[in-house]
Amino acid sequence: MFRKNTNLKVTITLVFTVLVSLQAFSQNNWNVPADKKAKNSYIKFDATSAGQGEALYNKNCASCHGNPGKGNSMKTLNPIPPDLSSAKSQELTDGELFYILTTGRGVMPSFKSVLSEDERWKVISYLRSFNKGYTQVLSKFDPNKSKLVKLDLSYDAATNKVTVKAVANEKSGVVVLKDAEISLFATRYFGRLQIEKSIRPDATGLAVFNFPKDLPGDKKGTVELVVKVTDENYGEIELQKNLQIGVPTDKPSLRADRAIWNVVTKAPLWIIFLYSLGVLVFALVLAYLVFSLSKIWKSGNNNQK
Amino acid sequence: MSEKEQKPKKKSRREFLQDLGIIGVGSVLAGSAIFAGINYDKRKRPFDRSRVLKAENELLEIERADGSKVVIPKEQNFTYLQQRGRDGLEGKRFVMVIDLSKCRNARKCMNACNNAHHLSEDQHHMNVLKMQETKETPAYYMPKPCQHCDNPPCVAVCPVDATFKRQDGIVLIDNERCIGCRFCIAACPYSARIFNWAEPIHTLEEENMPYNVELNVPQKKGTVSKCLFSADRVREGKLPYCVSACPNGVYYFGDENEDAVTNGTTKETFRFKKLLEDNGGYTLMPELGTHPRVYYLPPKGKDYPFHDKDKEEAAEHLG
Repeated sequence: MFRKNTNLKVTITLVFTVLVSLQAFSQNNWNVPADKKAKNSYIKFDATSAGQGEALYNKNCASCHGNPGKGNSMKTLNPIPPDLSSAKSQELTDGELFYILTTGRGVMPSFKSVLSEDERWKVISYLRSFNKGYTQVLSKFDPNKSKLVKLDLSYDAATNKVTVKAVANEKSGVVVLKDAEISLFATRYFGRLQIEKSIRPDATGLAVFNFPKDLPGDKKGTVELVVKVTDENYGEIELQKNLQIGVPTDKPSLRADRAIWNVVTKAPLWIIFLYSLGVLVFALVLAYLVFSLSKIWKSGNNNQK
Repeated sequence: MSEKEQKPKKKSRREFLQDLGIIGVGSVLAGSAIFAGINYDKRKRPFDRSRVLKAENELLEIERADGSKVVIPKEQNFTYLQQRGRDGLEGKRFVMVIDLSKCRNARKCMNACNNAHHLSEDQHHMNVLKMQETKETPAYYMPKPCQHCDNPPCVAVCPVDATFKRQDGIVLIDNERCIGCRFCIAACPYSARIFNWAEPIHTLEEENMPYNVELNVPQKKGTVSKCLFSADRVREGKLPYCVSACPNGVYYFGDENEDAVTNGTTKETFRFKKLLEDNGGYTLMPELGTHPRVYYLPPKGKDYPFHDKDKEEAAEHLG
C-alpha cells in the first residue's frame, strides 16, 4: 500500500510539473477542476471499446487531430491540435481527457451534445490503446443503478411551467437525486433544443423550468419533450414525453403563392392574362387577314362576271 | 317405277367417281389450307408482330392485331426520384446560418461537399471566399453556398423547367431536363451555379445508380450544378455534408417553422430568430429582393488572425 501511495504521489507530482511546464511553454493548461480530474471510466478499456472508439475518433476527431502517431494533424489551426498518442497528451488523466472532450475551449469544440458519456469514454479507450505503459483505474460507478431512477414530467398551463421530478427507488427507500443535473429539451428536426439552463432539483426532488410561450409545435401544437438527468451515482437517465404546449404551426408550402418562378399553373395572373391576350390578338389578326383575302377573291370573281 | 326407286340406293359408277373426286379435291384443298396456315404463321414477318416490354424487363412478341389489347400506362414525365426531389418535405422551411466570426478557412466543408457530389477540385458548390470590403476594415473568410432564395431569379429564367423551388425552400436542378443554356448562371446574383464544361468525375459506385435529383449524382456534362442544401441528407433528418464536416462550428442548419437551428460541430440547437437577433444576422444583397434562406452572422470578435498568405488575395480588388 505504501509503495502504491508513493507511486501515486510521484505520478501526481510528475503530472503537475508537466502541466506547469506546459502552461509556461505553450499556455495550454486546461485548468481542469480537481474532482473532474480524478474522474474515472466505468467502461473497461479493452480491444472492443477501443475499436468502437476508433470509429468515433475517425468521424469526430481525425479531421483536426489527424491519426494518432501519424503526425498529420491540421497545421493551419492555432494552436496546432496535438497528436493525442504523444507522451504529452498521454500524461493527462482519464478525467482530464474526459473534461476536455466534454467542455472544449476555443478551437476545440465541445462534444457534450455530440457524443454520449459512453462514447466519450470509448474515444479515450482508443487513445489509451497507444500507451503501453497505461493501466486503467476503473470507476466504482455501476451503470445498472440508472434503472432505479424514476422520472416524472408535468406541465402547468396556468404558470407555463414544466416540473420534473427525479427520485431513485433504493431498497432503503426513496432517495432524492439532489446532486443531479437536470436538463429539459424540446426535440427539433436536427437536434434537441435546450429549454433554459440545466438545474439541480430542490430538496423534494423537483426541478421547475419556465417553458417559452412562443415555441412552435406541430400542427396541433405538440412538442416532444426530453428530460435528461446526469448524476454521479446513477449515470445518465432520459425520459421522453409528448405534450400539447407549443404554438400550433401549419405554415403553407413555399410554392403556395403565385410567382414568376413558380410552375405554370401557379404563374402570376398578369402573365396568364397578357399571354392569353397576345394569343387572342394574334389569332384575330390572322382571321382578319383571311377575311380580307377572301373579300379580294370574291370581288375579283364578281368583276369577271 | 321399280327402276326409279332403286336408283338412289345404288350409285352408278359415274356418280361414285364424281363423289370421290369431290372428296379428294376437297381434302387436298383443306389439307393444303391448313398447311399454308401453319406455314403462314411460321413465315410471319416482324411487321406482323409487335414487341412489348413487360415491367419485369421481359420482351414479349404479340400479334399486331392484339396490340389494341395492351393497356398503355399513363405517361409519367418523371421517375420516382425526380418526382420526390421536386416535391420536397412537407411542413419544412430549411434555413442555414453561417457564423463568419468562427470561420478559419479549414475548407473541410468544401472537401465534404466535393466528395458527396463527385465534383472535381476546381468546382465548388460551397466556396470559402477571402473578403475585405475596404482598406481600413479587417479581412475575413466567408463560406458561400447557394442562397436558396424564396424569390429565385434562376428558376424564373429557366426555359425548360429544369431548375425549380420545392415546398421546403430548397432550389434544385434536374440535370435530365437541363439543356445547358446557362441562363440561370447569368441570372444568379450570388454566382452560386457552376457548369460542367468537361466530363464530370464518375466513380465506381455510380454504376447502375439511378440519377438522384437530391444528390445530383451522376453529374452530367453540359448541365448546370449547384449547392443542394444536401437534400438527400436532410430527407433522412441528417445535417448537410458541409455543416457536419465543419470543425469550427461555423454552420447552423435547421427548420424555420420550428424556429430552431442546430450547430454542425457541437450539435447544439438554438432558437433561430434569437440567434439572428443577438448576433446581428443579415442576408447577402437584400436590396435585390431575392429573400435568401442563408443568413450570415457578422465576423465580430474573431479570436484568430486572418492568415497572412491570404491577405493579398482578399485585398486584390482594393488597388
